[in-house]
Amino acid sequence: MKLSHLALSVALAAAFVGVRDSAIFDRLVDVVKGGTAADEAASFELASLTAPAGKMSRYAAPNFREVVPTPATLPDAITTSATDPVVDESALRYFASRGDTVRLQAEISRLKALYPNWVPPKDPLAVPQNADTALEDMWKLYSEARYAEVRKAIAERQAKEPTWKPPADLMERLNVAEARLRLINASDLKQYEAVVTLGSETPSLLTCSEVDVLWRVAEAFFRTDRAQRATDAYNYILNNCTNTAERLATVQKASAILPAPAIEELLAKGKVLDNGAGEFDSLRDDLARRFIADANTDEKKSVPAAYVERLEKAAETGGLASDALLLGWYHYLHKNMPSAEQWFQRAHDKEDTASASQGLALTLIERKDFLNAEDTMYRWRDAPNEAKAVYLAATANLLAVEPPLPIKVDVLQRIAAEVIKSRDPATAQQFGWYARALGQPQTAIQWFRTALGWKLDDEPSAYGLAVTYQQIGDKAGLAQIQRLWAGRSERIARVGEVETEAERALRLRQERMARPVVAEQPVVQKQQIEPQRRVVAEEPAYIDYRREEPRRTVRVTQEAAPARRNGCKTTVDPRTLNPNTALSRGWCLMDLNRPLEAAEAFEVALLGANAKTREDAAYGQSLAYLRAGLSSKAAISAAKSPMSQERVVELQRAILANKAISAFDDDRPREAILVLDQLKQLGPERTDLMVLKGYSYLKLKRYGDAKKIFEALAATGNTDGLSGLATVNEATRPGKRD
Amino acid sequence: MTARARAMLLSLLAGLAGLMMATSSAWSQQHIEAQAWDAYKARFLDPRGRIVDDGNGNISHSEGQGYGLLLAYLAGERADFALIWSFTKTELLIRNDGLAAWKWSPASKPHVTDINNATDGDILIAYALALAGREWKRNDYLAAGAAIARAMLDHAILEQSDRSLLLPGAEGFVAPARKDGPVVNLSYWVFEALPVLDSLVPSPQWARIRESGLALVRQAALGPKALPPDWLSLAVQPKPAEGFPPEFGYNALRIPLYLVRAGENDPVVLNRFRRGMAGNNGAAAIIDIETGNIRNNLRDPGYRIVNHILACVIDGTSLPEDVKRFQPTLYYPSTLHLLGLAFVAEKRPECL
Repeated sequence: MKLSHLALSVALAAAFVGVRDSAIFDRLVDVVKGGTAADEAASFELASLTAPAGKMSRYAAPNFREVVPTPATLPDAITTSATDPVVDESALRYFASRGDTVRLQAEISRLKALYPNWVPPKDPLAVPQNADTALEDMWKLYSEARYAEVRKAIAERQAKEPTWKPPADLMERLNVAEARLRLINASDLKQYEAVVTLGSETPSLLTCSEVDVLWRVAEAFFRTDRAQRATDAYNYILNNCTNTAERLATVQKASAILPAPAIEELLAKGKVLDNGAGEFDSLRDDLARRFIADANTDEKKSVPAAYVERLEKAAETGGLASDALLLGWYHYLHKNMPSAEQWFQRAHDKEDTASASQGLALTLIERKDFLNAEDTMYRWRDAPNEAKAVYLAATANLLAVEPPLPIKVDVLQRIAAEVIKSRDPATAQQFGWYARALGQPQTAIQWFRTALGWKLDDEPSAYGLAVTYQQIGDKAGLAQIQRLWAGRSERIARVGEVETEAERALRLRQERMARPVVAEQPVVQKQQIEPQRRVVAEEPAYIDYRREEPRRTVRVTQEAAPARRNGCKTTVDPRTLNPNTALSRGWCLMDLNRPLEAAEAFEVALLGANAKTREDAAYGQSLAYLRAGLSSKAAISAAKSPMSQERVVELQRAILANKAISAFDDDRPREAILVLDQLKQLGPERTDLMVLKGYSYLKLKRYGDAKKIFEALAATGNTDGLSGLATVNEATRPGKRD
Repeated sequence: MTARARAMLLSLLAGLAGLMMATSSAWSQQHIEAQAWDAYKARFLDPRGRIVDDGNGNISHSEGQGYGLLLAYLAGERADFALIWSFTKTELLIRNDGLAAWKWSPASKPHVTDINNATDGDILIAYALALAGREWKRNDYLAAGAAIARAMLDHAILEQSDRSLLLPGAEGFVAPARKDGPVVNLSYWVFEALPVLDSLVPSPQWARIRESGLALVRQAALGPKALPPDWLSLAVQPKPAEGFPPEFGYNALRIPLYLVRAGENDPVVLNRFRRGMAGNNGAAAIIDIETGNIRNNLRDPGYRIVNHILACVIDGTSLPEDVKRFQPTLYYPSTLHLLGLAFVAEKRPECL
């Protein structure tokens, strides 16, 4: 295609010459309102069809239609009589004298469109120079885009020669040039309404030779909520303008803002190239990427199937990991798991990234290949965007598989280390069940207690603890847990009752059903969801994670727990509830892990007339504050109502343990020891807290005291005790003192 | 005749002059000598049509363009007016609401670095367009001036039950954007422009704006020197606005110049300014509102001319020689200097 776009536009314009459409003509007259714009407007292209005569509405919007030039619209200034217009050739002469053939050709085309009977000079370059050198200077300034100086030069000359009038052609070009500048400045400053107004006031700017202006007007329409007008503008360009690069850029610009169907409409305007390919084929891959990426962040957006297929083809032939990844998430979100896994796998093989691993792990979890999910996710477990949640979903599910899978020791160890580091009650609980299944009830008890420490109201862990105490015949342990859960869990209350065969079968089924909670509710739906506010506790310096047993058991974390009930998801002002309803709501909010709201609900329940309700409320509120990490508030709540001795002790122990751990973490070992001594008054010391005490002494360089504690622990075979002892020995080794 | 009686008579005469100005054509031209304008433009007018604020990082602003247009008109320089207007239109009149963006920096791209308007710039531009359009029969100037004046009425005026306030900008000067809003700048009331804008876009609001402005100038006699601060909070009783220095400063020292140029010669008010802003050795003073202390003595004749014009209007005292002559110094005082000289040349030639 060798025709210049100007030439073609003139050719098209010529085709319109002679056509009379009185409606368009009338509106055109409105637009140009007898001013100097007529000649430019007549050079084909567009005009505003909406502006009232004489006064341009600020928000008048230009329509995009071809305008029929008609000599009747020409102003008097360049028409001496109706039949014999005098053609102003000054611009022609100026461009010829400068040897500016591009502008010269444009001017010839423009004049031909304006005056069909005008015959251009045979050799335009031979056209004599303007005799008027002052005018020549004005054209020079104009061609250098020094429009303000043209204005000045005109005014200067008019002051000297009061009868002199500037050529209408110059004035019109100047007006248009200033309007262009103003429109571009407004567009750069995002003054989109001004852009639309300026475009509608200056129809001669809306032409193929001003594609940049058309793009800006189109965008301004879109930004002022007139997407259809924006589409019209882009369509106008593709219907009328011929410059290949500009056409491509038009579709690119449109595709950055318009919705898919509108872009389809534009793409359909592509021509078939000589080699048989479509004009816009090169853009379609990028469009497919954009559509799919958009759909991956906004599930409401749909992608035409053709684009999915196109990207699949591109991913297969081009082999970009990023394309495979886009497709993986796309299929994952559309619940097409086999395809999702296939694309994630491909992306992962090409380039092992956090996103690819996360996607792959999610699809593996989906088809219950938890072992591989854990393995895929392990190295990315600390990546942003929910990576940790995906990893822990894999681990919880892995341990929940029935019958238990054989898992390599090193894998178990790394899971345990991560679970402790992340304080994940779900996986800790599953470790409990896993240990039970492997016939290690003592380990199971430790894990269940760990889970309960992180999540005081974790009923399945409490239940696991109860059945394990029952299994090893620890009646005191069982009785204690049953007292704590009295009224809150029927199945815990019933542990140890003589069962009928039917009951036993039911229990076994329930027991099993209690386990794969996480498996049924994958924590993470997709990569881009807003990160949940998880509090991942800082890693305490003193813990050695090489073993399976957890050592710290009390820290309450704001863990994202799967909801067991839906009864409190809507926001309600608890003050409008009666105390009993508020109590239920409090427990429900605890289940949803919204402890601060739960505390408010319990506050209302504390107003109840029933002593039992008040006790439950105080207990619940105390647990809620503990979970929120507010030990001192938890202590106040615990005192709000008389409650059973067991609950008092449980809460006190939890509060003190929390305090001890925070004191230790805040590097106040002396205070930690003090609190731990208080705790000792409330019953047998927990081994994990004894370890804490040992390390507190170690921090204070009280090696003797530390050694005593670690030795006592080591004597029971406790590995923390052994490693603590090793640390003391290392610290006190002669020649190595710090 | 006592001084007081003479001042009152002068005030009456000036009031009549103001009335004539409002009804007949405004300032006739050529009150700035060609030589003075040539010196001014050689220093501050860039060839592309922008007035350069050389005291302020060589930026340009809507106020400077407005002053440039007004001075070019007063000097009878159509060509320079056309030049400055082309720049102003294409570079600053780009806001959705039809007001001018206030700040233009040569070093930035896009050049407009703050799209907000400054209402004194809008007034000055519209006023100059109205004068030039009428004088030189340019309908395009009149139409552009009217569009700005209309946009001001629509976007930059705060109507209250008892007054109409000129907001310093379309956004950011009333509550809740400003806790102590409404905040106004009394030096944005270019009083002489208001009747001209009324003839361009007739509205009772212009007279209300004038009356409200005059009342505020009378009321905002704050501190020991009884002067208005540059930025005034009207949330309760008039007081200096938060976040601005509480001073009668570079802004406010224009207020008496604008008053006398508009013939608003209330002797009480003029005398208050005359006493309040008198610095050491004839300097114009920047005053700390709270203490009444002088913060700065401004020696530039462009600032001092304000003192001398007050003396001329009140007592008929002649301007000193170094103030009668125009020598460009910095954009802002030099602009005030020419505005002051133009006023004396036309209305008080006896003081020259």
